[in-house]
Order: sequence, then C-alpha cells, then structure tokens
Amino acid sequence: MSAVDHPQRSGERAPGDGERASAEFEPRITAFVCNWCTYTGADLAGTSRLHMASNVRIIRLPCTGRIDHVFIVKAFERGADGVIVSGCHPADCHYTAGNYHARRRFGVFRELLSFLGVEPDRLTFSWVSASEGGKWADVVNGTVERVRRLGPFDAYHGLAGAATPADDPFASYETAAAGSDESATKASAGGAS
Amino acid sequence: MSDETIDDRVEGAAEAETIDFANDDDVAAPRRRLLLTHEALAALVAELAAAGTPAVAPAWAGDAGRAAGATAAARETEYRTVSGAAELAFGERLPRLSLKQFFLPPTEVLFSWRRSGGGVELVSAPTTFEDQVVLGARPCDVAALPIVDKVMNWDYADELWNARRAATTIFGLSCGVEDDSCFCSAVFLEPAASRGSDGRLTPVEGGYLVETFTDKGEAFVAGHDALFTELAAGADGAALDAQAEGFRAAARERVAANLQVDHGRLRDWLDHHFDDPFWASLGPRCNGCGVCASVCPTCHCFDIVDEPESVGRGVRRRNWDTCQTCVFTLHASGHNPRQDQNARFRQRVEHKFLIYPLKFGDVLCTGCGRCSRACPTGQDLAEILADIDALAAAGEAAS
Amino acid sequence: MTELQDTARRLLDEGAVRVVIGWEGGRLGARPAFVTSAADCDRLIFDTRCVHNLATFLNPRRSQVAGLGKAAVVVKGCDAKAVAGLLREAQLERDGVVLIGVRCGGVVGEPSALEPPALTAENVSSRCWGCDVREPGSVDVLVGEARPEPPVTAALDERVAALDALSPAERLAFWTKEFSRCTQCYACRQACPLCFCERCIVEKTEPQWIETSPHPRGNFAWNLTRAQHLAGRCVGCGECERACPVGIPLGLINRKLQQVVYELYGYTVSEDPTVPAPIGAYATDDTQDFIR
Repeated sequence: MSAVDHPQRSGERAPGDGERASAEFEPRITAFVCNWCTYTGADLAGTSRLHMASNVRIIRLPCTGRIDHVFIVKAFERGADGVIVSGCHPADCHYTAGNYHARRRFGVFRELLSFLGVEPDRLTFSWVSASEGGKWADVVNGTVERVRRLGPFDAYHGLAGAATPADDPFASYETAAAGSDESATKASAGGAS
Repeated sequence: MSDETIDDRVEGAAEAETIDFANDDDVAAPRRRLLLTHEALAALVAELAAAGTPAVAPAWAGDAGRAAGATAAARETEYRTVSGAAELAFGERLPRLSLKQFFLPPTEVLFSWRRSGGGVELVSAPTTFEDQVVLGARPCDVAALPIVDKVMNWDYADELWNARRAATTIFGLSCGVEDDSCFCSAVFLEPAASRGSDGRLTPVEGGYLVETFTDKGEAFVAGHDALFTELAAGADGAALDAQAEGFRAAARERVAANLQVDHGRLRDWLDHHFDDPFWASLGPRCNGCGVCASVCPTCHCFDIVDEPESVGRGVRRRNWDTCQTCVFTLHASGHNPRQDQNARFRQRVEHKFLIYPLKFGDVLCTGCGRCSRACPTGQDLAEILADIDALAAAGEAAS
Repeated sequence: MTELQDTARRLLDEGAVRVVIGWEGGRLGARPAFVTSAADCDRLIFDTRCVHNLATFLNPRRSQVAGLGKAAVVVKGCDAKAVAGLLREAQLERDGVVLIGVRCGGVVGEPSALEPPALTAENVSSRCWGCDVREPGSVDVLVGEARPEPPVTAALDERVAALDALSPAERLAFWTKEFSRCTQCYACRQACPLCFCERCIVEKTEPQWIETSPHPRGNFAWNLTRAQHLAGRCVGCGECERACPVGIPLGLINRKLQQVVYELYGYTVSEDPTVPAPIGAYATDDTQDFIR
C-alpha cells in the first residue's frame, strides 16, 4: 500500500482532533520534503514538542530536486486536499544544486496548475532548514488553515467520480450474502469479509 | 462457431478464388415508408429528451478550442445525446468520431475489485443497458457495427458490446457524400446503405422520407406514431419517393468517382507483397499517432489495465488502443516484431483489407474517409488503395 | 519554388544527402514528402499550406526515416527552432542534417486545400503571430522570395488572457470539459518534434504514474504532464493541437507556459542551440517569491 494513499474518508477523522468540532473539515495534506533539511527540521519540531496540526503525512525524499510534479498530481488524485513541498535553502542543498532545479521546475508548475484550475493556495512551497523546527510548525499550521478555508478538493477528487460507476458496485455484494442479488461474484480464497 | 480452427478457415479461404461478400444481414425491402417533417423531428427529439431517453444524433460540437473564430462551414460536429432540435446537425460535416464510442467506450470498467479479509471480491460490470436510439447516423458509421459484431462474437461473445448493440435502435441518414476522401461505394456500401440500420431517413422537401427495416425500427416508429405520416398513395407519395431516390442516386455517382478497386486483386497483392518496397514509401510519413484508429468506425483494439481507485479497491478497464503505436506489439523481452512504422502501417492496411476479409468475410473499412481527413501527415487511404490496386493490375498484366 | 527544387536536386546529385524531407501537393492538400531521387524533386513545394513541422521526422527513434540515410530537411523559421531544440538536447549532430530554410510569410492552420489559400486573420495558423524568424537564420541554405508579413492576429494570447481572468473554479470546469473528450491517443505527443523520449512516462507501468485510461482524472494527469515536460521547450508550432482528433485547445496551455518562462526567466524560444532551455538550467538568484 503506497504511502501516498489516504484511507477512505467515510467516518474517519485524523487522530488528536478531540477538541475540534466533529463537523469541521480536516484537510488531508501530503508533504514531500527533503531528507537533509526539512525532514530533520520536522523531526526537531516533534522533539521540541511544538504544537502543530496533525493533518500532514510526510514523504521523505533525498532532495527537492528529486520531486517530480507527478508526485503532486498523484497526491491530489489519491485524496490530498493540499500539498507541501519543502527543502533546503538556496546554497544549502546537500547535492549542491537540487533545490535550484526544483525552484525553477515548481516556479513553472504552480503556474500551470493554476492555469488548469487548481487554487494556488492548495500548493505550498517552503525552505525549511534542519534547525528551523519552529518554521516547519508554522508552515504546517499555515497550510492547514489555508486549505481548510478552501475546503475539500472535491472538484479534483470528483474527477474520480466520473471514472467509477456512479453506484458502489459492492453495495449489491453486501446484500448478496443475504441471498438477494445476482451480479456479485465472490473470488475470495480466504475468510468472509 | 464450428470446430475448425481459424487457421483452417483462413487457409481454406485463401485458396478460394473469391470471397462471397453477400452480407448475412442484408436488409430486406423497407417495411413501411413514412414522412417525418422537420417540425416533427424537432418534436421527436424533444419528446425523447423529456422522457429521459435523449437520442444520440449528429450535433454541433460546442468546442472552446478550434471552433473559436471558425466559420459555420468549418464548425465541427459530433455524435452525442441531444436535448433539442437547435443542437442537431443533420447533413452537416461528418461527425468527427464515429458511433463506435457508444458501443465500445474509450474507457470501460470490466469489473470492480476490493480486498476483503484474506481475499478479493469481484463485481462484474453490469451487462444490461438503457434502451437508446440513434437518429441520423451516417451509413458508413452504421454499417461498421455489424462488421465489428463478427470479431466481437468470434471466439468469445463480448457481453458489453452485444448488450449495448441489443439496447440500441439506429436510424441512418442517407448521405450526400462528404468530400473526396470518402469511398463507401468501393467497400461494398453506398451513401444510402441500410446495412446495420433499423430504419433510414432520406432528405426530401419538408423533412425526411423514413423507411423501417426491422422489428426495432417498427417498434420505435409505433412508439411515436403521432409524429410520422404514412406516405400518401398516388402522385404526392411518388413525388417524394422520386426526390429521395434522386438524392441517393446523385450521392452514389459522386462517391463512386472517388475510388474503385478490385478487392480480390487487392487481397492477392497484399497476401504476396509483405516485403514490398511500397510500404517504405508510406511508413516515413506516418507519425505513429493512431488518430486514424481513434476516428475509425471499425478499429476496435483495446488495452486492458488494472487501476487502483482507493486503498484496497480498484477496477479493471479496457481502453482504446491502436496498432500504430510503437509499443503495441512490444514483447516483455524487448523484442518488437513490428519494429518500425513501415511495418505498423503495413499491418493496418493488411488487417483491414486482407486478414479481416479472410477471417470474417468483411472488409474492415466502411470508406468514411475520416482517417484521411484526420491524419496530421496527409496519409490518404483512397490513394493508397488505388496505388496498390494499380500495382496489382500491373503485376497481373506482366504475368 | 524552383530554387527549392534545384537545391534539393543538387544535394541529391552531389550525394550530400540521401533524402530530402519537404512538402508535396497531394490529392487532399499539402503533406510531407520524402524525396530520394533527383528526378522526383519536382514534387517539392512550399506555399501557405505547408504547415507541418518537418523537424518531427528527425526524431532518431523514427528508424524508418533514419534508415533512408542522411537527410536534408526543409524548414520554416518555427521548424528551425524545433531543430535547434533537438540539437540543444543532443538528439542530433549538426553535421548529421542539412537544413534548407525557406522564407515564409505565414501558413494556414489546416493544410487541406487543392490550391494555396491567401492568408487572412481567420485562417492563419496561431503560430504565425509575432513571428521573428520569417527568414530562418541557422540553416545551411536559404531559398525563396521574401514574403509579406502574415496577417496580425493575437487570438491565442487573447484567449489565454480570457482564461487567466476566470476564477480557478471556472478554469477547472473549462479544462475538465475540454479534457473529457481526450481519448489519450497520444497524437499530440507523436506530432510534437520535442516529444522524442524512447519511453514516455505514460508508458511506465511500475509504477503507473499517469493513468492511461481516458477518464477525466487520467486525462488531467496526461495533459498536465505533457505540458510540464514541454515547458521552455515548446516552440509553439501548434502541431499538437492540429493533430488532436477531438479539438482540444492545447495551444492555450503551451502558450501560457511560454509566457510563464518569459516572465519568470526571461526566456524565449531560440534558434540558437547554445542558448540553454530554462528548465534544466538555473540561476542562483531565480525568483522565489512563491516560496515561504
């Protein structure tokens, strides 16, 4: 199961949300961060017990230069409402120039996404160094609030709705066990559902 | 299907001097002849839309793109469900895609799966479909359907294709011939061909002469009885008949001028000139884009993919594919038996004009001309067929 | 035109090339031609119907063309920019191809006409607006008479601006509708001279980054990816949009990204292969006002 996937939305809330109103939208944020700076900075935020929103799933890569735009597209496809891309400050890249390449690539990509209709605030870019735990907490909290205001990215997730049959094909299967429907086929080798 | 293998049949057929192309589903004479006025057509379209079963018909394409600034003559049309007569584009430009998409959609779910406990549960895609009517389709698009029926019921009965076919009633529209790219009369059809249709409309003064051919066609007319008028006996009826036949005859003459070939000779040349340098004169120009296959009413190849939809859930789909892409015959080993565009383009021509006829007794082409119009690099199928026929004739003369 | 035919004949006679790739007049209009004998050079034409970007045929993976031998290619200025792109990205050696440049006054959007039409603001190709290479500079031979400027039309830029003026939600609705027709046939990719990858990312299956199924989600990923991969490389020849069988306005996206790389990095497509493309290069002081 890929780390990018978010679990089914129905009825599930991110842990640690006890204080928030149960009806409040909790955005799902995927963060692609570089190993040397931002990942370490995020770790520092954690060990410093800084309070920050828990909506973010972090994916660690060697360098922002490794981050292909398709990762961002995939995150949105798989349920993310917002994406963070974060790495080392210019001149601090562990691989010398990876973040310079990323800066150009994403300078263009965010314009492209916006032109195709994705709200710019759904995509956040930052330079967060290994010692900037506080900055990471700010980036996370700021992103979550901005995306919360935008709401769930239904328009993009809804593209999936156009792809799948409108009715849940397994709805009939649930009642097949009661012996009613004819269209389900069981191919299970193991136990019952 | 009998016990003999495809190889037996192909070998046997190759030895036969000619193939009998008389169609098993040749339609009989029209059962009823009726008049549908323009107003009645508009009312029919509205009635169907209001009932929640809108008709599929040629309609103006509402593009933002190329249509911007285009003149009316250049505006594109497409087959789609219509909600009102204002959208109809009967007798305008040939719709850019064929009817194929309504029977073999560009993407189609075959089954859905999900993980459950230690195993997997599957639900097949439904194989019943809402009834649908197609109004005003070109005969080249309609005739493609019974041709493709054969491969769809060859070694496996394709339930999805067959169910959509069974649920659809089709009224063709006699065609006035699009342009120099069409050649339906060179592939055993004609601009008013009724093959595959449940009924046919032909333009006459005030509306359309409607003929029904099948039970489905009859049933559709009966369901909207008030809108169709029986053709008057006597002079009025005869005059409309004459108008309709005049339209059809003029169209036949026009399209016949575009291409004439001897199919037996063509097949024979294709069968014996696999390595002919002729193919190297066509391949270089080809981009390998497969637009020809997308727009073709008879191309039917598809790719099957498994796609995750969510955690532990997914679908298996089939998607349109084309033999013109370089990966179509790429083996897992890395070997590709069709290594370049010369080979791939040759395959396209051979499949349509040699292999499919030997296997199924039908040319896999209805002469609609879309491939030639849509090709970005100007491949001209009518010209190619004429060139091959000329080579074949020269070969015959020499021997 | 005779100058073009004479040049082709000379190159073939001298054995400098084995094939001349140009245009000919077919039954249905102008189309690419591959002339391998001096006697056939009479077929070569150049007129307002010659819209095809012949640089596409220099893709080294087109073995059926490469197999014909060393080529001379007839190029308009826009086509020469595509050749420069191929040279810049090491797909060609400069001495491996002979470039015959033609002086150009613009071409129509569609090549299908029996006679070359006069150019009007309505029928001129969108690529011709603002053309700065009506005399291609980087070629081996330059032929043809000077032609007048093409009719002015800023239609493409106006349509890009109109989309920019919409809200993101409106733009998403627009593109969802346009991409709903896409069947992922990849004609846009095949027609593009700069799409030359031996294995396109969409063909990568482990993992499948871009869904090949032509539903809106897959189509979004495909078209977005192709646009991103062409950023700073697209020469604006419009062949992708012309090839698309369902009329998706791809030119709008590519034009937008041309504007973006100009605004951000001062880059315009160059006929000079030594000028680096913007993506793949960088400056230490690149704009980063979008980065927190």
